[in-house]
Amino acid sequence: MTALACAGLLAATGCSGSDSGGSSDGPVTVTVMTWESAETNAAIKKALADFKDDNVTVQLLDTPSGQYGDKLASLTQAKKLPDLFWCGNDTEQQYTSQGLLVDWADKIQNGDGDFKADKFVPSAMENWKTADGQMGGLPSLMNTYGVWYNADAFTAAGLPLPKAGWTWDEMYAAAAKLANKNGAKYGLIADQLTGPDGPFTMSMYSVSAGGAPFTDNVNHPTKAEADDKYKEGVEKLTAAIKNGSVAPPGYDAANVQSLFAAGKIPMTFGGQWLAAGFQTDKPKIKYGFAPFPQVQTPTTLYDSVGICTPQYTKDQDATFKVLQYLNTKVWDAVLPASPVAPPAYTPAQTSYFDALTKAQQTTVVDTVKADLAAEKTVGVRFTTQWAQQVGDLTTANYQPILSGKKPITDLPAYVDKINGLIKQGS
Amino acid sequence: MSRNAGSDVKAAYLFIAPAVIGFLVFVGYPLIRSFYLALTKYNGLTDPIFVGLGNFRRLFSTDPAFWPSLRATGYLVLLYVPLSLVLGLALAMFLNQRFAGVRVVRTLAYLPVVLPAVATITLWKFMLDPQVGLLNTILDRIGLPTSLWLQSPKMAMPSVVLVMLWGVGGTMIIFLAALQAVPTELYEAAKVDGAGPWAVFFRITLPVISPIMLLQVILQTTAALQTFNQPKILTGGGPGFSTNVLMLGIYNNGFPTLGKIPQLGYASAQVWVLFIIIIAVIALTAKFSSLWTYSDNTPD
Amino acid sequence: MTTLPTEAPPVTAADHAVSPAKKKPRVVGTTAWYVVALFICAVMIVPLLWMITIGLKSRTAVFDIPPRLLPHEFQWSNFVKGPQAINFPRLFLNSMVITALSVLGGVLTAMMAGYALARLRFPGRKTWFYLFVGSMLLPGVVGLIPLFQLYKSIGWYDTWLPLIVPAFLGGNPLFIFLARQYFLAIPYSIDEAAKIDGAGHLRIFVSVMLPLTRPAWLTMAILAFQASWNDYLNPLVYLYSSGKWPLSVGMASFISPFAGKTPDWSYYMATNLLYMLPPLIIFFAAQRYFIQGLGALGSTNQK
Repeated sequence: MTALACAGLLAATGCSGSDSGGSSDGPVTVTVMTWESAETNAAIKKALADFKDDNVTVQLLDTPSGQYGDKLASLTQAKKLPDLFWCGNDTEQQYTSQGLLVDWADKIQNGDGDFKADKFVPSAMENWKTADGQMGGLPSLMNTYGVWYNADAFTAAGLPLPKAGWTWDEMYAAAAKLANKNGAKYGLIADQLTGPDGPFTMSMYSVSAGGAPFTDNVNHPTKAEADDKYKEGVEKLTAAIKNGSVAPPGYDAANVQSLFAAGKIPMTFGGQWLAAGFQTDKPKIKYGFAPFPQVQTPTTLYDSVGICTPQYTKDQDATFKVLQYLNTKVWDAVLPASPVAPPAYTPAQTSYFDALTKAQQTTVVDTVKADLAAEKTVGVRFTTQWAQQVGDLTTANYQPILSGKKPITDLPAYVDKINGLIKQGS
Repeated sequence: MSRNAGSDVKAAYLFIAPAVIGFLVFVGYPLIRSFYLALTKYNGLTDPIFVGLGNFRRLFSTDPAFWPSLRATGYLVLLYVPLSLVLGLALAMFLNQRFAGVRVVRTLAYLPVVLPAVATITLWKFMLDPQVGLLNTILDRIGLPTSLWLQSPKMAMPSVVLVMLWGVGGTMIIFLAALQAVPTELYEAAKVDGAGPWAVFFRITLPVISPIMLLQVILQTTAALQTFNQPKILTGGGPGFSTNVLMLGIYNNGFPTLGKIPQLGYASAQVWVLFIIIIAVIALTAKFSSLWTYSDNTPD
Repeated sequence: MTTLPTEAPPVTAADHAVSPAKKKPRVVGTTAWYVVALFICAVMIVPLLWMITIGLKSRTAVFDIPPRLLPHEFQWSNFVKGPQAINFPRLFLNSMVITALSVLGGVLTAMMAGYALARLRFPGRKTWFYLFVGSMLLPGVVGLIPLFQLYKSIGWYDTWLPLIVPAFLGGNPLFIFLARQYFLAIPYSIDEAAKIDGAGHLRIFVSVMLPLTRPAWLTMAILAFQASWNDYLNPLVYLYSSGKWPLSVGMASFISPFAGKTPDWSYYMATNLLYMLPPLIIFFAAQRYFIQGLGALGSTNQK
C-alpha cells in the first residue's frame, strides 16, 4: 500500500522516505483546522468522534473565526500547517504550484469504493486541478450565490417576488422602488458587484446576454476582455448606483447579515451559507433566496471550498482516510443542524437538501439546485499567484467607474492593465 | 580613584548588557535583514530571489496603490499632527488650572489612552456607522447634517483622524507635565510687568516648553506616519484608496488575505520607503528646530 | 486716629500685584468654564457608556434603527455568557502572566540601562544613548518579517517567548530615555555617601536608586502593562494553540464575520468591559505617580 501510494505520487510530490505516507508504527494523530463558526465546529467535533480507526485519532484545532487568514499565513511560514485545513480554491491553486501540498489527483481518480472523482460535482473537480493536473486538495463544499430578498418589503411595495428567470432590469427597477423606504437606505446591496471581485461578477451579465466573460479561465487565464454586453452591464450598474438604489463601492458589508435579518435591507447578493446563519438568528421578516437575474440564459457564479494537506503531513494514508470521512460522513452529521453548503461529493448532498426542506427554506433548496445545474457559470476571482495585485488595480480603475468618478471610456484601459498582469504572470 | 573608574566601567557594561543585546537583535538585525529582503522577491516559503531595485521600480511606476497610499499618509499626518498638538496643549492648559473636579476631568481625558486599542476602535467603527451608529443618531436629533463617515471617500480620512484624536489625552498628559515644570517666578514676573494672557502664552509658556514641543512634534509625526490600527480596523483602506496608508499597503503585501501568496520582498521595500520618509522628516524638523525652540542654557 | 497724608504714598510692587487681578476677568471657574469641562468629560466618556449599553442589549436590538440609548431589557446575562464563550478565566490568566513578565523585564532592564547611562562613566556612553534613542524612530514594522522568521527558526513559534523575551532585552527605548532623565536629576552626593558605606553598584542601584525613582518606574510599569495587555497583533501571529492565547486575541472571536456567522456585538462589548478593567484599575490606583513620572519628560534637563 505504501509503495503504491509513493509510486503514484512520486512524480508530483517528490516522495522521500520518512516524510511521506508510510504506514505508522503507532497511533497517528491527524489534525484538522476549519474556519467554521463555533457551533458548526462543535458539530464537526462530535461527528469526528465517530471516526473509528485503531491507528488514527483526529484532533480538531481551534481558530478564532475570522482570523483564519492570518492564522493560515503564519502557519504556512512556520511550516506548521495542520494535516487537513479548510482552504479556498485560490489557496489550493497557489500552494500547489509552490509544491506545498500533497497531490491527491491519483488517489481520487483511482480510489477504491465510492470515493472517486466521478462522484463529485464535475466543474468543482475541474477547478481544483492545476494546469498540470495536480490536485492539492479536494473540494468539500460548493458555494452557490444568489439574491436574498425581504419578501415582506416586496409584498408591501406591490412587487412580484424574485424568482428564477427574472431579469437584471427587473432587479434594478425593484431596487429603485424599494430604496429609502421603511428604514432601508439602498434597495440592493451588491457587494459582489461593487467590491474587489466585481469585474468577475459582472461576467454574469455579459455571458447571460450572449457575450464573453471577463476572463476565459480564472485558474489559468489567457486574456481579459470587456465586450459590448459587458459594457452594457457596467453602465446599468453605474446608473443604479447614481440614483441611489444600489449601494456604492465602499459600502461596509460587514453587518449586512444582521441588517437584513432586521429587515433593513430589501435585497442583497449573498451566498447560500447565510441560510445557516439565518436559521440561528431567526429573522423577523419573511425572506427568500432567488437565483441571480439573467438577460437571456441563466448564469451563475461558481465557487467551491475544500480541504488541503501540506507536504509534510506525517502519514498520508491516515490523513486521506480522515479526509474521506470528512467529505462523506461528517457532512451528514453536521449539515442538518447547520446547513452551510451543499457538499461537492454528490451522494452527501441529500442530507443538506433534506435539512433545508425541513427548515422550510424551500426557496434556498430551489435556488441551490438550479445553481448547481446551471449551464453557464463564471468564476468568482482569479486564483493565480499574482491575484493579489488585481485587487489594487480594480480599486484604482474599475470602482471609480462604478461610482461615477471615471467615465466608462476608461474601462478598456483597466482591461489592458489586467492583460498586462496576465502576460507577466504566465 | 582608578579602581573606582574600573569598577564603574565593568558595572556599566553589566547594567547595559540586556539593552545592548536587545538593540543588536531587535534593531540591528531587522534593519539589515529587511534591507536585504527589499532587494529580493520572497514569498516566505522558497528562497529569496535577488531582483535589485526591481521592487522600488515597481513601487514608483506600476503599483496602482502606492502613490495613493503616499497621499493618504500625507493627508493623515497633515490633519492629525497639528490638531493633536493644538488640542493636546489646549487641554493641558485648561487642566493646569485649579477648579473643582479638575482631577476627575484629567483622569477622564486620559482614560481613552488606557483602554485596549482594538476594543475602542471597533467601538468607534460601530458608532460611526451611517445607519446604526450613535453619532448620526445624535446629529439627526439635534438637527445637524449627518454623514456617511467612514464610507464616504471625502470623509473617511477625517473620520479616521477623529477616532485617533479621541486619544488626545496621551498628548495632553505630556504637555501637562511640561506646563507644571515651568517655573512660577516667570509667571509672577510677567504679572508684575502687567502682561496679558496672550503675551504670557506666546512669550513665556511656549518658549519654555518648546523643547517638549519639539519632542512632541517628532514623536507625533513619526507615530502618525506609522498609523496602522485605525485604518485597518475602521476601513481596511477604503473607500477606494482614501485611507490606504503606507502601513496598510505594507501589511496587505506582506500578510495578504486568506491564501494569497505573500510578497515579503516587496513589502520590505515599502518598509524602507517609509523608513526613509521618517528619517527625512525628523532630520528636517530637527534642522529647523533651532529657529523656534528655546535653548535652556541662557541665564535667567 | 488718622493723620492726613502730606504726599502720595510710594507705589509698591504690592499695588501692582493687586491691580492686574482686578483688570483681568476671572475665567477659571465661570459657568462657561464648567460647560467646557463637561463637554470634555462627555466626549471622553460617552463612547464608554455606549459600550455598556451595547453590552446590555440583546443581539438583535443592537441593530435597531435608530439605536436606542437605553436597552429595552437589560440583558445582564451577556456579561456571563460572553466571557464563557471564549473561556475567559484561562485567557485572563494567560494575559496576566504574559503581561506581568513583560512589565518586569521592560522596567528592570530600562532602569538598569538608564542608571548606567546617567551615572556611570564608560566609553561609548554618549554613543549608546543616541543609538537607543534613535531606535525609537525605527518603525516597528521593520522588524515584523525578519523577527517572525528568526523566532520560527529557533523554535519559539507557539510559545510565549516572542512576547516576553524582548521586554527583558531593553525593549523600550522610551523607558530608557525616561530612566536616564530621572537618574540625571539625582545628586552624586547620594552615590558617594553610599559608596563610603561600602556599597557596590548593585547595592546602590537596588536599595538607594530604585526607591528614589519610584515615579519613573511606576509610570513605566503602567505604560508597559497597557502595551502588553492590549497587544493583539503579536500574540495572533506567534500563538497557534488556543489554550495559550491572551485575552486580546480571544476577544477577536466575537466580531469577525466569517462563514455565515454574524458578529456578536453585545457579547463583545460586555466581555470588553471586563477585559478593560485591569488596566483601568491600575491606572486609577497609580495616577498620582504617573503624572509625576512623566514630569521627567517635561523637565528642562539637558538632553
